[in-house]
Amino acid sequence: WPSLLFDLYPPPPQAKRMRALVAVKRVVDYAVKIRVKGDKSGVETAGVKMSMNPFCEIAVEEAVRLKEKKVVEEIVAVSIGPKQSADTLRTALAMGADRAVHINHDGILQPLAVAKLLKAVVDKESPDVVFVGKQAIDDDANQTGQMLAGLLGWPQGTFCSKLEIADKKATVEREVDGGIETVSMGLPAVITADLRLNDPRYATLPNIMKAKK
Amino acid sequence: MHPLVRDLYKRIIIVGKDYPAGLEHVRRKAKEAFMKNKDLTDEVEIKRAVARGRWYVRNELTAVIQLKKYRTIKDRYY
Repeated sequence: WPSLLFDLYPPPPQAKRMRALVAVKRVVDYAVKIRVKGDKSGVETAGVKMSMNPFCEIAVEEAVRLKEKKVVEEIVAVSIGPKQSADTLRTALAMGADRAVHINHDGILQPLAVAKLLKAVVDKESPDVVFVGKQAIDDDANQTGQMLAGLLGWPQGTFCSKLEIADKKATVEREVDGGIETVSMGLPAVITADLRLNDPRYATLPNIMKAKK
Repeated sequence: MHPLVRDLYKRIIIVGKDYPAGLEHVRRKAKEAFMKNKDLTDEVEIKRAVARGRWYVRNELTAVIQLKKYRTIKDRYY
């Protein structure tokens, strides 16, 4: 009779630990009026309000929603920048990420360098899906996601406005100039978030306090 | 000051930093609203007012912030 009991209550299927990596960027806040520095060498960034790139917020929100749907089990947020980028990572943690990786770097970073650094993180964390925002509102490069996919040799779903992940395949609805294009790809893949992917949550106060620890 | 009231004021300030009209506007309006209720002594009444304030922060303030952000980004990036 022990084998009958096993058949009545079969053990739950082992869910493979899907891990999502989200790369976020600390940029000048979207509402700040940009001014050029006095010596015309660049944009004034000292002392202005900085926050997470809006497209990166959408990317984090998508990863968190997948976690709530139990498709993804763990979310790792990564950011490259000066030590204040840790605040951006705290916002990502408050929104629902589990771990955060901060690569400390002062100075300008071009997208290819960022993509190479992210490739090193991907090799270390081995996620199943990488979320990034489609572009950063400070340099508007729109290159990092694509370069990362190229360096890794992974398929990419860019300008994603709808995402479905089901048994090792991702179906992405991309916003292209002619309308919406539906692509499907196998995991692991790089997904670049566009504006209409979702409505990111505002990280609530208790979460921010918890994330500070 | 009641600790719940202080906690609510802190929440308003933290969320008010992102408010489009500016922190000063939020702080002024919050002070007016708090001053109107400053003579409450009943614990239940205070909790009711704090709950209303928290609802306001969670729904109204964040909604305005999110909407403004979505609309500006949509205007800039289609």
